[in-house]
Amino acid sequence: MSSRLDFLSSFTIETLVVKPGRKTYVVKPEDLRSVFSKMIEVLGDSSFYVSTIIGTDLKDEGRIRLDYYVVILPEEETIVLRTFIPRDNPSIDSLIDLIPGVLPGECETHDLLGVVFKGNPFLKRGFFVPSDIVEQGKYPLRKDSGV
Amino acid sequence: MGISKIIEVPLALELPVGPQHPALHEPVLLKAYADGEEIVKVEINTGYNHRGIEKLCEKNSFYRDIFIVARVCGICNLVHADCYVRAVEHILGMEISNRAKYLRVLAMELERLHSHMLINAVMAENIGFENLFMNIMLDREKIMKAKEILTGNRVLSDYVMVGGVRRDIDGVKKEKIKDIVLKTEERIKYYKKVFEEDTTILKRLVDVGKVSASDVVKHSLVGPVARASGVKIDSRSSDKYDAYGEIPFNVITRSEGDSWARMMVRWDEALESIKIALHILDHLPSDANPVPDEKKLPRKIPAGEAYTRVEAQRGELTYYVMSDGKLPNPYRVKIRTPSFNNIISSGFMYVGYTIADLPVILTSLDPCISCMERVTIVDIDKNVSYRLPFKELAKGI
Repeated sequence: MSSRLDFLSSFTIETLVVKPGRKTYVVKPEDLRSVFSKMIEVLGDSSFYVSTIIGTDLKDEGRIRLDYYVVILPEEETIVLRTFIPRDNPSIDSLIDLIPGVLPGECETHDLLGVVFKGNPFLKRGFFVPSDIVEQGKYPLRKDSGV
Repeated sequence: MGISKIIEVPLALELPVGPQHPALHEPVLLKAYADGEEIVKVEINTGYNHRGIEKLCEKNSFYRDIFIVARVCGICNLVHADCYVRAVEHILGMEISNRAKYLRVLAMELERLHSHMLINAVMAENIGFENLFMNIMLDREKIMKAKEILTGNRVLSDYVMVGGVRRDIDGVKKEKIKDIVLKTEERIKYYKKVFEEDTTILKRLVDVGKVSASDVVKHSLVGPVARASGVKIDSRSSDKYDAYGEIPFNVITRSEGDSWARMMVRWDEALESIKIALHILDHLPSDANPVPDEKKLPRKIPAGEAYTRVEAQRGELTYYVMSDGKLPNPYRVKIRTPSFNNIISSGFMYVGYTIADLPVILTSLDPCISCMERVTIVDIDKNVSYRLPFKELAKGI
């Protein structure tokens, strides 16, 4: 498995582990698209899927953390691609044209945290959030949203 | 007499499917566009049932969250609680007894069993087999009883707790559950045969909503939907959580990729669940008390993060739990349910099939829907257009 993912080392700033034993590769936000393009090139587009996109508001650090949980097939090993974007301008390139399966994750993260996935035409407020919260312009999972 | 009104029936008929449906979970709107009978596009609108559970988890303690996450979904409450609790146990570095692990698996497999029976019953009802629906539901009720014997409740059991489970099981209960499971096995084999052999069921389900293995992976579809297209993914066999590493079972896959294959995967998985349940009842370890003393559980959760997966009835369910080590509440809880992927990403599956196939495809993914229909009326005199249900149109304008 590790040899198939060797290409990640050229993009990785830091490696961590999320319990239980999920290898985590921290990458720059501007490299994220390249990482997934390379992953498709090396593994093929039917050899992995993006299981979850998790956005976390790190208010004290002034950043939003984005974790892409990727399941590599056929071993079904879960790895994490982690990146950080500024809280006052939370935008990152969308992966929707490369991987259609990111649609629910990107739409949800946009609606709940206000992250803009550049190039995703399906982003909209109210995907999950009730209309009264949308009208107030609040993103519920921001720590200072007051929701 | 001059023409005063024109009835304009659009080439692509807009057909809202949902969002209200009392029979099953997940109110969702499928806005289907049909050219004649053929579906050309489906938009999926969500947000009718968002209760802000993740935010609620951030506002409550780690221990109270066990009860909150169990209420995300009634029919799979145990897997939610198990997945969350295991994440907390990973952060705590806690190891639980083998007996507790086996009991958790037994409870989850009983849940899988009744859930698979339910959706197959709903499929039977949707394609006009009401009697079959009633019969499957009658047998499903017995499994609910077995679950009640084990956990104390038919549906919301709150069985899993940090460090183990809430109730142990004795020899009498074991025998009762075994008896129910063995009787149900015969019934499931019969229902499987009906789904395999009945001409009408085959005509409605076979070759409807076909998905290739490649599309499954690209769209992140999980669970029986993926396995019915030949994609062998199952968190039970890959993550080997709880006691799944020690219990023999098969991951069921099929190659057809249609609605029928998805239902057949569920029947075969129900039979596997029975095998697992019987194995546990015969090989239940007695290494330690599976019920921990609540007073001795750690009050402070250290800083850390954990990401756990569980194979819920509908597919891979994941929980991410993060503790900052300062607050009694989690800093972040992220839940990704299997239906989140399977339903929102499923728009492409309906294209090219007929309106009558839409409920079949949607049910084969595991929710349920109701339909209503409309056309546009253009009033030339008043120069306005408005919409009217077909029912009203039938009464005359």
